[in-house]
Amino acid sequence: MTAIDVQGLTKTYGETVANDDLSFAVEDGEIFGFLGPNGAGKTTCIRMLMGFQSPTDGTATVLGADVRDAEALREARADVGYLPAHPSFDGDVTGGAFLDFQADLKGDARRAELLELFDPPLDRKIREYSTGNAQMLAIVQAFMHDPDLVVMDEPTSGLDPLKQERFNEFVREERDRGLTVFFSSHVLAEVRRICDRVGIIRDGHLVALEDVADLLGRGGKRVRVQTAERVDPQDFAFEGVLDLSLHGDSAHFTFAGDYDDLVDHLDDLTVVDLTVDEPPLEDVFMHFYGDSASSTIDTASEERRV
Amino acid sequence: MFEITRYESRRQVRGTLTMAVGLGAFAALIVGIFPSIEASGVDFQDYIESLPEAFQASFGVESFGTIEGFLAVEFYQFVWVLLLALYVAYAAGDAVAGDVESGKLDLLLATSVSRSRLLVERFLALMTPVVVLNLLVPLVVFGSVLAIGESLDPASLALVHLLSVPYLFVAANVGLLCSVVFSRGDVAQRVAIAAVFMLFVLESVTAGTNFEWLASLSPTRYYDPTEILVEESVDVAGAVVLLAAGLGLFAVTRGLFLRRDV
Repeated sequence: MTAIDVQGLTKTYGETVANDDLSFAVEDGEIFGFLGPNGAGKTTCIRMLMGFQSPTDGTATVLGADVRDAEALREARADVGYLPAHPSFDGDVTGGAFLDFQADLKGDARRAELLELFDPPLDRKIREYSTGNAQMLAIVQAFMHDPDLVVMDEPTSGLDPLKQERFNEFVREERDRGLTVFFSSHVLAEVRRICDRVGIIRDGHLVALEDVADLLGRGGKRVRVQTAERVDPQDFAFEGVLDLSLHGDSAHFTFAGDYDDLVDHLDDLTVVDLTVDEPPLEDVFMHFYGDSASSTIDTASEERRV
Repeated sequence: MFEITRYESRRQVRGTLTMAVGLGAFAALIVGIFPSIEASGVDFQDYIESLPEAFQASFGVESFGTIEGFLAVEFYQFVWVLLLALYVAYAAGDAVAGDVESGKLDLLLATSVSRSRLLVERFLALMTPVVVLNLLVPLVVFGSVLAIGESLDPASLALVHLLSVPYLFVAANVGLLCSVVFSRGDVAQRVAIAAVFMLFVLESVTAGTNFEWLASLSPTRYYDPTEILVEESVDVAGAVVLLAAGLGLFAVTRGLFLRRDV
């Protein structure tokens, strides 16, 4: 079955087109990354999928329910978890009281188990929570009713690296148990670590849809060569070399050609040191966005409100 | 059902009890100064009749010299009809708009709760202070009146409070409508207060003018604590009009909320 099927989904606010004719499908049991810079339209799409906003045109189904059918979508939401980008809570209740309230509305079969992995201070009022604790509380509420589909909007902003890794591992394990995850992010490294497939959105348009592995493959490899003598640009004038930069006796470039060619050409040099790495996904991303997007690509977490 | 009402009401318990203590103390104070007013021998009735008609209409100034009239003017017309209505509208103004603005509503809308149920339950929670204050404050009022050796018809007192519920129900609905129309909580709250205040003065400013018919739009026209306490006359039809108006407003609010992008 298809967990999420987006068909020509469009949302305009007056003159502004937030989502323009988006079409893609998220299959059952996969982690789908929805990647794009801030302001590309990711959150708008998610809010339509959750039924918070209505599409201007087109539609989508979530666990088989049409998002334009409020009652069908309401029933489907019983099996959906939602993790917002900036979870916001009533500051005057304790974390425990908030979870009790959510449990009354949707159940909490897995609450205890989740609290072992993610442990916000439940006895404290939420207004005293750090950003990371608030995020952990949001994670627990998103998963505690054992949903079939979890929709996450920039989920790991605010978590410390250790918790982030624990979260990624947890999400992959859940995927192996059959959970479907729709995961929006502007942090490329995050998508690369956790997602199976990725849709890239820019200015409200879907510009690419592919396996993360293919995306990486198409991006080539990062190559660093150190030689015994000064390098000359002519030494690297062969097919597949991109973004060449030379620094005295070393050369850095992205290689997207035939590796046999690369080895042949390196044979003419006295190689002192050689590294061939996977490219940062940022570089791959640049192929879709060009230089203008570089400022929006960010691996640091943003300022958040609680 | 009613999980949201329970949760939201619980959050209001402390604030509501604080308000009950404050209003109870104020009521006791008003009752407490009555004997000295009475003893001063000043003819307040004469003084009041010299006031402009609009002022008399605003605060239902009648029979100032009896404990019933004194309480009605000094406490009920002012605190229940004006202050509490403004408070209820102000609180309701934030109920939806504030939570949309902060994003708190997202985690509720993400569950399988319908928007209709959400709105009904939030509204019921807004009525929590109305119910609690109407249960506690009359006890203080009645006790204080007995304490100064006066008497007050308990049935009339109960009716003043009971019939204030439809009136405050309308005020809450005005606030909730603003809360659904505006996307910022503070804007919704200000508009709600302004609207309720305008409806309040509508009756008094039009008194004796050619626009007196406008006063029929004012909820104060349908709830008059002075009439109930002093004349022991009860406007049941007025209460029905208020309930119907409140339900009408709620239907409009719900219609807007179901279509609204959050």
